[in-house]
Amino acid sequence: MEKYFNASYIWESFPMLLPYVKVTFLVAGLSVLFGTILGFILAAMKLGSSRIARKIANGYITALRCTPSIVLLFLVYYGLPAIAENFGLLFDNVDKLVFIVITFSLQFAAAMAEVIRSAYQSIDKGQFEAAVSVGLSDFQAYRRIIFPQAFVVALPNFGNSLLELIKEGSLAYTIGLIDVMGKASLIIDGRFNAHALETYIALSVIYWVISIIIEQVFLKLEKIFSKGKQVIKTT
Amino acid sequence: MDFKFLVDTFFVALSGVPIALIITIISLLIALPLGFMLALTRINKIPVLQRFAQVYVSFIRGTPVIVQIFIVYSSVPLLLTSLFEKYHIDKNVYDINPIWYAFIVFSINTTAIMIEIFRSAIGTVSKGQLEAAYSVGLTNVQAFRRIIIPQVLVTALPNICTATVNLIKATSLGYAMSLQEITLRAKVAANVGYNYVEAYLDIFLVYLILCSLVEYVFKRYEKRLSKYKTAHA
Amino acid sequence: MLEIKNIHKSFGPNEILKGVDLKIEKGDVVVILGPSGSGKTTLLRCINFLEKADQGHANFGDIDVNLNTATKKQIHTIRQKTAFVFQNYNLFHNKTALENVTEGLIIGRKIPKAEANEMGKKALDKVGLSEKYDAYPSELSGGQQQRVGIARAVVLNPDIILFDEPTSALDPELVGEVLSVMKNIAKEGTTMLVVTHEMSFAKDVANKVVFMDGGVIVEEGPPKEIFSKPKEERTKQFLHRVLPEDYIFYI
Ligand SMILES: Nc1ncnc2c1ncn2[C@@H]1O[C@H](COP(=O)(O)OP(=O)(O)OP(=O)(O)O)[C@@H](O)[C@H]1O
Ligand SMILES: [Mg+2]
Repeated sequence: MEKYFNASYIWESFPMLLPYVKVTFLVAGLSVLFGTILGFILAAMKLGSSRIARKIANGYITALRCTPSIVLLFLVYYGLPAIAENFGLLFDNVDKLVFIVITFSLQFAAAMAEVIRSAYQSIDKGQFEAAVSVGLSDFQAYRRIIFPQAFVVALPNFGNSLLELIKEGSLAYTIGLIDVMGKASLIIDGRFNAHALETYIALSVIYWVISIIIEQVFLKLEKIFSKGKQVIKTT
Repeated sequence: MDFKFLVDTFFVALSGVPIALIITIISLLIALPLGFMLALTRINKIPVLQRFAQVYVSFIRGTPVIVQIFIVYSSVPLLLTSLFEKYHIDKNVYDINPIWYAFIVFSINTTAIMIEIFRSAIGTVSKGQLEAAYSVGLTNVQAFRRIIIPQVLVTALPNICTATVNLIKATSLGYAMSLQEITLRAKVAANVGYNYVEAYLDIFLVYLILCSLVEYVFKRYEKRLSKYKTAHA
Repeated sequence: MLEIKNIHKSFGPNEILKGVDLKIEKGDVVVILGPSGSGKTTLLRCINFLEKADQGHANFGDIDVNLNTATKKQIHTIRQKTAFVFQNYNLFHNKTALENVTEGLIIGRKIPKAEANEMGKKALDKVGLSEKYDAYPSELSGGQQQRVGIARAVVLNPDIILFDEPTSALDPELVGEVLSVMKNIAKEGTTMLVVTHEMSFAKDVANKVVFMDGGVIVEEGPPKEIFSKPKEERTKQFLHRVLPEDYIFYI
């Protein structure tokens, strides 16, 4: 390893890394999609009246909360093909991306289940009753009254979960995904481990900027949606 | 499924628990007071420090822990080498126990998390509590020690619990510093016969038990601390 | 005993106190009346340094402090000589009733715990809470909480107790219990400076009533004079608004 620090390697790293931000976003986007769907199901199980469903959902959420991403990732990566084999399926040709998206969808679902549940529970029961009392059906009451209010409550927590997801997603490089993180490792390998620090600094700046942008976007969204709330109030 | 391996490796993974716990405890011992003080600088708007705390929190929360680990793991040796050369200390930086790097990374990381936790918790204690403390003749320090901090701790406790669980989970990244913790130990055991599924099941179980226990302890402690809130005769 | 001179206080561009002077003798019960926003709370808070005045002096018998430039030590000394009863009680949430009352004794005054507990229990007995030593504020009604607040002030045996609308956060049926406690401690000769809208308390207990408006003292005097023949137009208007007319004639 070279024993000096050269800032020009930081600048050199940016153009090499940036194209791979796409892959990072792809993993995050797919995981958000599938994770949110599963999250809704889990939240419904938690809020529903079936005791068994509630137990299962709670168990799932606790287990995932306690599992490091990297452990879950390898559990899925090695475990899923092993299970599939028992059913005579071969997973050899499956893209790594699939395992990664499954891992982070499972994890994101656990976070989303809690976000959805707490948002739902934060809405006053009276809102539903009032909606039904003016003649809305149950479904209409949820869609038109409960959901829009719960959405505003859930927004900041959803933003936080998304940030966590993007950061944890960096671990996908351990099974060989070439996202920004994976590309950074490749660059470092290509330089025979020299100037690793400079590359990691560039990488951290990229993540930092992504986080700040997402944070700002969610702050804006929150403002827009809660503003809407006030307009409704005053008119 | 190799059950004998499964059972044996469970204990291998378990043997990594002390290291994970030591790192967790040391990091908390550093992060709790430091985070509290830096949170105060933000609340009291102390010029330079509050700006520093703000950027610090933003950076740590905006970057993956693994990247933070790599940055510390590749920058500290560079710094130390030049220091050692300057002062003619005959010591090889590569002999340093990786646990020191772990202490550094996880303390830096956890401190940032604590700043945010305490900032929001301090905000929930009303100014009236401080004023009442002054009005019965307590000094600033006494008021904080006896009235404000106990109340802040109770509100912050659930978040401190989450942070602790996340910290324990994050120690699984110690592999990047060749730290002999839970994950690395079990993985090395699996390398011999490619029993990765069993190994990761064991690792999963160990973290599940460890984190559930931590959550349980926190819940108990929270109940005891917050009896003034829930107490209803 | 306590003399305050020329307090000025602004919040941003708004001057809230525009030179207030007040003199209180030992054993006095002084009630401050005045419309909302006239600066009553601000005045009390400045006296106890919960707000820093822009200008002004306070003379506590032996010591004289500048309310703007007082040192930490002076502030601490004054706070040891005064006690404050808050509108919203501000009981320490994490302490029982007894611990609330003894906190200032044990920590502020370094009185041994056993002795402090004795004093604390006596103070709670005095406000009728012998049953509630170990109750947390969350287990007490508003009236009970405010009585603990009063006990917490009384137990310190301060030169003066400052009350800021001690009953205005209470349900009407709980106001009586707090007022009667205040009457009792007034009878014992405690010096009190009370901001309140309870006219009956001003009339029956105070020996001096101060009427504030717009950051200045408009008029002051014995309650009989203020209530039956106020001199200033603003005082008349205020009393007219807060008292039923026949009540004024009745006095
Ligand atoms: N911390 C503050 N910052 C800015 N303005 C303040 C502050 N505290 C009080 N004020 C303003 O000072 C004015 C006087 O307030 P104060 O609380 O002293 O009135 P008050 O006579 O006690 O009224 P009330 O009877 O409603 O309690 C009000 O207009 C208030 O808005
Ligand atoms: Mg007031």
